[in-house]
Amino acid sequence: MDDSRPIFVQIAEQIENDIISGQLAEETQVPSTNEFAAFYRINPATALKGVSLLVDDGILYKKRGIGMFVAEGARERLVTQRRDEFQADYIRPLVAEAAKLGIGSAQLAEMIRKEENQ
Amino acid sequence: MSSVIEVQSLTKRYGDLAAVDDVTFSVGENKIYGLLGRNGAGKTTLMSLLTGQEFATDGRISVFGESPVENADVLQRISFIKESQRYPEDFQARHVFRSAPWFFANWDPDYAERLVDDFRLPLRTRIKKLSRGQLSAIGVIVGLAARAPLTFFDEPYLGLDAVARQTFYDRLLEDYAEHPRTVILSTHLIDEVANLLEHVLVIDRGRIIIDQDADALRGTATAVVGTSKAVDAFVGSREVLQRDGIGGLASVTVAGLTDQDKAAAVAAGLELSPVSLQQLIIRRTSMTEKEEVGA
Amino acid sequence: MTAVLDTTARPTGAAHRIWSVVRLNTANPWTTITLPWMILGFIFVINWLIWWIINTAAGPEGMVEAVDGLQWSGASMFIFVYMMVVAIQSVNLTFALALGYGATRRDFWLGSALTFALLAVMYTVGLTILSVIEEATGGWGLGGRMFTAIYFGDSGWTGRAFAYLTLLALGFFFGAAIGAVYVRWKSLGVTVFFAVLSLLIVALVAYLTFTQSWPAVGEALVSLGLLGVYAWSYVITVLCAVVGFFILRRATPRS
Repeated sequence: MDDSRPIFVQIAEQIENDIISGQLAEETQVPSTNEFAAFYRINPATALKGVSLLVDDGILYKKRGIGMFVAEGARERLVTQRRDEFQADYIRPLVAEAAKLGIGSAQLAEMIRKEENQ
Repeated sequence: MSSVIEVQSLTKRYGDLAAVDDVTFSVGENKIYGLLGRNGAGKTTLMSLLTGQEFATDGRISVFGESPVENADVLQRISFIKESQRYPEDFQARHVFRSAPWFFANWDPDYAERLVDDFRLPLRTRIKKLSRGQLSAIGVIVGLAARAPLTFFDEPYLGLDAVARQTFYDRLLEDYAEHPRTVILSTHLIDEVANLLEHVLVIDRGRIIIDQDADALRGTATAVVGTSKAVDAFVGSREVLQRDGIGGLASVTVAGLTDQDKAAAVAAGLELSPVSLQQLIIRRTSMTEKEEVGA
Repeated sequence: MTAVLDTTARPTGAAHRIWSVVRLNTANPWTTITLPWMILGFIFVINWLIWWIINTAAGPEGMVEAVDGLQWSGASMFIFVYMMVVAIQSVNLTFALALGYGATRRDFWLGSALTFALLAVMYTVGLTILSVIEEATGGWGLGGRMFTAIYFGDSGWTGRAFAYLTLLALGFFFGAAIGAVYVRWKSLGVTVFFAVLSLLIVALVAYLTFTQSWPAVGEALVSLGLLGVYAWSYVITVLCAVVGFFILRRATPRS
């Protein structure tokens, strides 16, 4: 937990990460808010807020009397969403900075390849 | 969400000193509240007023819809073991756990027993001879096992080591999840409990200076670092919580930055870093001090 | 599953709440029951040894005179002072815990008064039985007097029971009143309380002296008799019980 953002947002992200990595498969049950609260040592109301965020986004859905489950297609949607964010948060500034330094796209691709090989 | 406590213009004066100074707030049902503040800020006095132990000089208190003073219907639903709680002469911890169930209808004896194990509390030693931490453990166990609808914890961690403190926080969360109730936790170790809290009340010199959702409070302040000129230009007329400077560099804590503000700051070559709840509160409380000195 | 706590007013009646205070006051019977009887037993043993030494030293003819002196024994007086201390500590310390447990001052005071009454009855029964044995055994076989000392009157066991009960009640409620003064106004309050009390007594003595009323007072006391004087002490006991409550009603536990 870092201090800059609300904890419930961080909880939601954590669950998203687990879905993207496959730890939480689609149509499986996610831990209860109380379990999240105990595990992350946070207030249960905060954990509930984080989970509710994902329910609102359709990533999780509620089975009455049983608990929360990962929705079908959730992983696909999260990956797409994260790709868009990656484009906005990393690629755009990267390209902007590269342009400032006179690095063309071919050279940029070369630099990335070099980085990967290390 | 209905409120359990409603306080209006509450004041408690000892001679010239206003220990609680014209305070108004309410406490929602089944939430964990942090009552934060420095030593002597008025935390214990405020809790004593809410539990009818102290008498208000002025203002109105309503707990479960009624005045708590000498009101058995209200007081029966409250547990308040003070940090400085005193016990009858020659009492041992076992006498406390023997007598508490007579006063708390929801008392869970098995749970109390488990907690005694968790905290390794000796039951047959005179309370007078217990260490500060063991004394705190008695208060923590009563507060948890009583399951009172309104439970106060007054600096419950004093003298407890890191393991025992973590045990307390874990047990509090577990039991709160199973048996929701209104908890008011007074502390000055803010970072340790920050994540447990749903709502934060900060008291400083008898006044409530912050009354906010813990989540909303987090991230409300940002430290902006850069050259004095750039920082000043960015800060403009914003509320400054704290300002430090070395040579041409300045570090300023400001409240309420939007994402656009942050982007603008980064574009202006400034560095941003988050401010923890504890830092935020330290800055807010030391600020009121400076103001008063300046006034 | 989440079990919702019952946050509505529970039907815990006043009788139950007051009884809880009685139980709290005696949760550790060591202080209120075990230790006092042990001390009393110890004093008895010491006294018995002294009586034995006197008997041995004085011989049969000397004992006639000695027995006259033994009736002035103050050996059992400690119990009344001890109970006063029990009451002071209860109103100071047990009060603080009772309020932490969510008791009201009113319930605490009524419960403590009931505790004191029950303890007084228990000690009265015990002391009376011992005094009857003392009588029946001719002073424990040695002409000793501890439970039939002269302060308990010469009206048989009923008179002695009345004397014990009266002195215990006075000790408890005077102690409770001092405790209440202490909790409300700290040690300065107690100092002022005793200063005022001393002044009142001096004033009374002065008044009786200047109006030359001492012979009348003496006559009145004689006509009242020892037990009559004891009976009048209930005025003080009841006053302590009532005034003590009003003092504690606005008091905050000391921390």
